[in-house]
Amino acid sequence: MKSKNIFSTVDKAQTEKLISRRIALLTIGQAGLFSLLGARLAYLQLFKHDEYSSLSDENRTTHRLIAPPRGNIIDLSGKILATNTENYQALVVLEETGNIYEALIAFNSILPEKQINIKKILELAKKSPKFKPIKLIDNLTWDEFSKLNANAHKLQGIFPSVDYKRYYPTREASAHLVGYVSSLSENESYSNPFAKLTNAKSGKIGIEKLKDTDLRGVIGNKRLEINAFGREIRELNRIESTKGQDIHLTIDRDLQEFCYKQFDGISGSITVTNIHTGAYLALASAPAFDPNKFYNGISNKDWNFLTKNRYKPLINKAISNHYPPGSTIKPLVALAALEQGFDPNKRINCDGSYEIKDTSTKKGTKSFHCWKEKGHGPMNMKEAIQKSCDVYFYTVAREIGINKIAEVCKRFGLGEKVFDNFVEELSGTVPNKEWKKKNIGYNWMIGETLVAGIGQGYFLATPAQLALATAQLVNGGKKITPKIIYENNISKENNISPPLAKFEHLEFIKECLYASTNEQGGTSYRSRLTGNFQFAGKTGTSQVRRISEKEREEGIIKNEDLEWGKRDHGIFIGYGPVNKPKFSISVLVEHGGSGSGAAAPIAKNVMDFIFKNKINIDQV
Amino acid sequence: MSSFYQIKTSLSLTDKFRQISIYLLGLLSITFFFGLLSLYSVADANFNPWAKNHLIRFLIGLFIFFFVCLIDIKLILRLAYPLFFLNTLALILILFIGTETYGATRWIRFAGISLQPSEFIKVSLILCLAKYYHSIPVIEASKISRMVIPAIITLIPVGLVMIQPDLGTSIIILIGAGSIFWITGINYKYFISAFALVCAAIPVGWQYLHNYQKERVYTFFNPERDPLGNGYHIMQSKIALGSGGLSGKGYLEGTQSHLNFLPEMHTDFIFTMFGEEFGFLGTIFLLIIYFSIILVSFNLAIKSRNSFGKYLSCGLIFLFFSHVFINIGMVMGLLPVVGVPLPLISYGGSSMLATMISFGLIMNCYINRDTILAKEGFID
Repeated sequence: MKSKNIFSTVDKAQTEKLISRRIALLTIGQAGLFSLLGARLAYLQLFKHDEYSSLSDENRTTHRLIAPPRGNIIDLSGKILATNTENYQALVVLEETGNIYEALIAFNSILPEKQINIKKILELAKKSPKFKPIKLIDNLTWDEFSKLNANAHKLQGIFPSVDYKRYYPTREASAHLVGYVSSLSENESYSNPFAKLTNAKSGKIGIEKLKDTDLRGVIGNKRLEINAFGREIRELNRIESTKGQDIHLTIDRDLQEFCYKQFDGISGSITVTNIHTGAYLALASAPAFDPNKFYNGISNKDWNFLTKNRYKPLINKAISNHYPPGSTIKPLVALAALEQGFDPNKRINCDGSYEIKDTSTKKGTKSFHCWKEKGHGPMNMKEAIQKSCDVYFYTVAREIGINKIAEVCKRFGLGEKVFDNFVEELSGTVPNKEWKKKNIGYNWMIGETLVAGIGQGYFLATPAQLALATAQLVNGGKKITPKIIYENNISKENNISPPLAKFEHLEFIKECLYASTNEQGGTSYRSRLTGNFQFAGKTGTSQVRRISEKEREEGIIKNEDLEWGKRDHGIFIGYGPVNKPKFSISVLVEHGGSGSGAAAPIAKNVMDFIFKNKINIDQV
Repeated sequence: MSSFYQIKTSLSLTDKFRQISIYLLGLLSITFFFGLLSLYSVADANFNPWAKNHLIRFLIGLFIFFFVCLIDIKLILRLAYPLFFLNTLALILILFIGTETYGATRWIRFAGISLQPSEFIKVSLILCLAKYYHSIPVIEASKISRMVIPAIITLIPVGLVMIQPDLGTSIIILIGAGSIFWITGINYKYFISAFALVCAAIPVGWQYLHNYQKERVYTFFNPERDPLGNGYHIMQSKIALGSGGLSGKGYLEGTQSHLNFLPEMHTDFIFTMFGEEFGFLGTIFLLIIYFSIILVSFNLAIKSRNSFGKYLSCGLIFLFFSHVFINIGMVMGLLPVVGVPLPLISYGGSSMLATMISFGLIMNCYINRDTILAKEGFID
């Protein structure tokens, strides 16, 4: 016991020293580690501050795009052709519902006619944060929407809500022209800045497509503070979206709707222009589709109906389809003849057909027939236009040649697109010798000149082109710039360019057209208007099938006996009022049989409507 | 057994009270105050639910601190083993009647209060080891035969805490015990060997880690590996600290914390929010306060003339230090994420009480620095 104590005291000083040294080392170690913490803090908070600061801002803020309202499309007098209208819908916010299943059941019991798929909504709810609204249903009627609002107390967590959708009040009447919007296509999602918006739409045809960038406006943007779960805490700042520009058209909505109504169960188009300004006042095509149906994606049933319909409702027949102009080309051919020095008073005898040498046939000749089998007898130019004598124009065409006819037609606007940038527009065809060599590969034949003289064969024109050509024939030969979009600053430069043809020639053509409609024996005499305002014009019947020699011998089958797709198109071009021309018109009735039977009466209705209601329509 | 203690001096209660270090108490109060501020901020400028409880607990802790300061050191020495035994028993009891939270069974409910015995075992183990080394001659500490008992009494709680599972606390317990071994003058060769052994044991021990613990280690070495999972927390924590910059975003203005980008903000990650709102100036100030507490405490510890007091104080100081270091190191991405609270600042009653008891004991050892304590052999 004692020895142990001695042993302890001997070592006591030494062990105290050891312990003190160990404690000192421990303290130094701690100081070192504290320095390490301090250094790390300095690194994070001072050295890397900028980097982490921006990361922190990225964390807590997010950008939300604000969709701009799309611009309206309005007619000449400001009437709406396309606008945005309220879309009533119902949203559910999961965290606001006591029990989402019960809320959905309650919803279905309040609107039994609009059953929502509870299972689908529940699945969607599982995937999204509980504070994020989920769309239950949209396109509710006002009645349904009111019902929801009235029963709001039973629908905990379900909120009635309103957003906007595109609305076309004229529905079918201006469908092709105004066009429609629908969801972006896959291609657009790369190029269109609006692809970042949910529920982005873009114009697919018509003005909606042509002026899409103007109509859609500028996307706004808001910066939000969000928490770690993505819930919005507050708005930090916002740049409002800019509403798209309104597009002001030269179209007159009443006239457009009136025109569309002319086609009940038939297909065709009506184009009306102001002959002085080149403004298109109506560009109707029928049958059409309801552009409102495309907004949320058209149903398969509706789509099939549109694509399988023989009247092709999706095609704008005023600009996207071209037809042989038939006899409506005759005023232009006559003008070409006058310019070549052809005497309009010279009489040419029509005995029902015109023959040329053709060694390939048995007879050694080939006959070209007049529509009037018995023939018109001796015809001067005015009578030939009035009665639409084919033999007269075979003779004229042969005399002046295809290239002259083509030159005059092109001068008046055939063979090229009327408008700029309308992707769906066709340019038609004005054939001549070079054109045939280049596009068909064969030399021009004399027989082809003859049929070109009556607007058949290779000739193709859109109704919009025919209306333009007519306008320039009757406005004194003034070259006009066709337009569909209203411009405030009308340039007067049109007046500077030289007239398209000699004044006396054009006056003579107008006389011929007047006779055609307003003098006995004219092809559209039955459709004339009497009274203060008269109109004048030329009928045309464009053949869609070749009449064989055999058929001619056995008797030509009447149009009424043919199936619809093989009947002739009926065309009418005209202008009015006769004493002070202001409007030109082209009417096309697909497979309508004849110009005088099908197209001229429609032109009469439209002209009558214009004279009664729109005679003073603004000059644009 | 009759001459249990040799009493040199007998101090009156007032004498004792006067010797309580006002510096230590002040520093602890400042630290607590930062905790209070932070918990008020975490609750979006609300006294409830955390700041209020934190205050109550600190007041209780303060009371216990004074109580521990003033009781007889001999009583402490005598109770060292029974306390450790009871505490270990509580850890065993937890396995059967513990309350499970977040997949770990750490709490025991007693008379309406939830206590976390693992917080107290850190203190009672150090108490126990201090008494053990006090009872043996210093030069015998390095004897292999004298290492068996400390090893066993250390590994039992470590094992019990590990299976809760609570890796952070078991590491803290090991570090605390290690500091005692170090101070007692055990030959440094053993520490080198132990270090080598731990390194060798890592591949073996790895297999026994829970998946979430493995994930945390993976994440530590590469936080970007899983930026939305485990790495997310540490990335967000660094962003919060870094974006605080020199002077911070301002009190109650921390975006990372108030917008919920940070995990467990009121407990293990509270330093992050503090750093975001008060910036580098704030964090460095807090570090200085912590280090001052440690220095002041060491200054008290080395005054102790009995080995029990020295061992106990130094062990508890190092325990305190390791909490601070691991917690702050972890939120800054220096160390893997293990659940270790920041003393006096993190919300948690057991942690607060254990900390206040620790400083009460350190203070007590200082007050009784001249008391000569008899060596009571653990094995006689």
